[in-house]
Amino acid sequence: MQVSKIISSVAIVLFIALSASCKKKEDPLFILNNVELYPNSAAKTRVKSDEQWVAILHTNLFQSALSSNELFQIGECIASIGDKELVREVIISNFMNDGGVIMPTDEEMRADLTTFITDTYTRFLVRYPSVSEETWYTNYIETNPYITPELVYFSFALSNEYLYY
Amino acid sequence: MKRREFIRKTGLTAGAALVAPYILPSGRLFAQTGSQIAPHVVMVMFAGGVRQQESVLQRYVEDSQDEPYAGNIMYNMLDGEAPTQKIVYGTGAGGINPIPQILNSSLQSQGTLFSEVTALSRGHYKGLNSLLQGSNAITQGLRQKPENPTIFEFLRRHGGYSATDAWFVGNGIYNSVPLLNYSTDPGYGASYGANFFAPNITFGGACENFLGDARVYHPENELDPIYQMKYFLDNNFDNYASGLGNLGNTENEKQQIKEFMTLMYDKTGNGTIAHPPISDSEDLRTVGYTCEVLKHFKPAMTVVNLSNVDACHSNFTEYTASLHRADHAVGHLWDYIQNEIPEMADNTIIIATPECGRNLEPNGILDANDWRSFDHSDENALRVFTMMAGPTIPQNLTIGGEGNPIGFTSDSMLTAAEILGVKNDVLNAGTLAAGTLSLFDRL
Repeated sequence: MQVSKIISSVAIVLFIALSASCKKKEDPLFILNNVELYPNSAAKTRVKSDEQWVAILHTNLFQSALSSNELFQIGECIASIGDKELVREVIISNFMNDGGVIMPTDEEMRADLTTFITDTYTRFLVRYPSVSEETWYTNYIETNPYITPELVYFSFALSNEYLYY
Repeated sequence: MKRREFIRKTGLTAGAALVAPYILPSGRLFAQTGSQIAPHVVMVMFAGGVRQQESVLQRYVEDSQDEPYAGNIMYNMLDGEAPTQKIVYGTGAGGINPIPQILNSSLQSQGTLFSEVTALSRGHYKGLNSLLQGSNAITQGLRQKPENPTIFEFLRRHGGYSATDAWFVGNGIYNSVPLLNYSTDPGYGASYGANFFAPNITFGGACENFLGDARVYHPENELDPIYQMKYFLDNNFDNYASGLGNLGNTENEKQQIKEFMTLMYDKTGNGTIAHPPISDSEDLRTVGYTCEVLKHFKPAMTVVNLSNVDACHSNFTEYTASLHRADHAVGHLWDYIQNEIPEMADNTIIIATPECGRNLEPNGILDANDWRSFDHSDENALRVFTMMAGPTIPQNLTIGGEGNPIGFTSDSMLTAAEILGVKNDVLNAGTLAAGTLSLFDRL
């Protein structure tokens, strides 16, 4: 009698233990925040061709693409001048004179410098600014009343990093 | 002790004050040791492949087409009577009106003609390279920048000349012409290169749309901040390497070039470019813009490239017209320097050399006049000439002749180097073709 009690007790304990141990575990749920990944400047090792540079520049400034015919013509213009830095400067100046460049106003820029600087880095250099870069630009713009978004865009378009991808 | 420190600092300051003025833009501490013969050289790459028979030998169609009409169709450069019949190289319908002579006396009579010079190549690009590098360019690829330093780089690195002191004006952007303004030599390269325009392209209608309406920025309030921000970005970018084509123009020189470009767009629009009296070819218009470059910058070294005579591959008639126009272009260039640029008149030496000649035998292609055409691949294609004129150049002197070749096309580069004071630097570099001498050493 006692043996059967013991057996039934053990069976109950085992049943409970097995039931508990075999209970299906819920799958853990991992949630990732959306983070846009950009290359850093060190990963840019290849030089853009003249046509790539001007096509990307036009898109960055006007948010629209150049026609293939225009691209071919500008490529010839660049080839016809020896100092490539100078011709890039002249092309940017011409684009800036076009009137269709999409950029914030001076007031918008100064109202939120952090956003402006981050947006400009991602727009032109396809990366976020480092803390020191953001600090430098913030200080430079704040202390220089002549700085406009156009001048900032010009400097980015003229930078060496903008020539690489 | 204080007195000793004071003396030491004073000495250092005095030394720096003495040395600093001699640190040249090129980074060289002292100016070149060689003395200048003249402050300006204009080298005409009289290129495209000029057949000796129609140029120096003045045989017009007598030799090439077996027609009994000889004569000189390059009377600005060479002494000799023009053909009297079968004239097709001029203007008007059928080219029957020869272009009037510009120079009162030919360059031959004003200077020295090396009438039988050996070209180092039968091809255009290697030929052009030999004129600019002074080397035989045996391993020079067709779509590669010069392998050895060019005359521009020697001048800028060793002579302390600024970027706007060295100009190369091309007649187009094809056939690798824009590559010729500096070499890939690791000791020289872009930062010692020449400024370059292919003005028929740069100042043509299409480029005016993209380059001719540049916004003018205030130099201090706008341009300075742009450059400061750019330099900040550049300092934070580690991958920057050479090879981006920056010629080392100073900000001031860049400003001058931009002003020149604006002026050229205006003058092109107004039709006031200093073109030759006849300007119906690319070569002629190229020389017109070259005159503008000379007037604006007064460079130490200017090289201009012509090439329309290469029509001779398939059109002998057009070849003679182009040769006649190339002579007109050189005549105008020399006349303009002497009469319109006081700073360069009487102190400029002009050197003109074809990069290669053309074949003795025709290729079988007939043009509209049933005249035979000529390529450039045989021994005759190595026969060319060199002309030079200007201060210290003996006048009315002819050296060499048919059957008596004297000199190589590479001599022109070393001659320019000697004129501008860097001959020893070029010789020490060891890149010259064997046998190359300055033409002054052949007089």
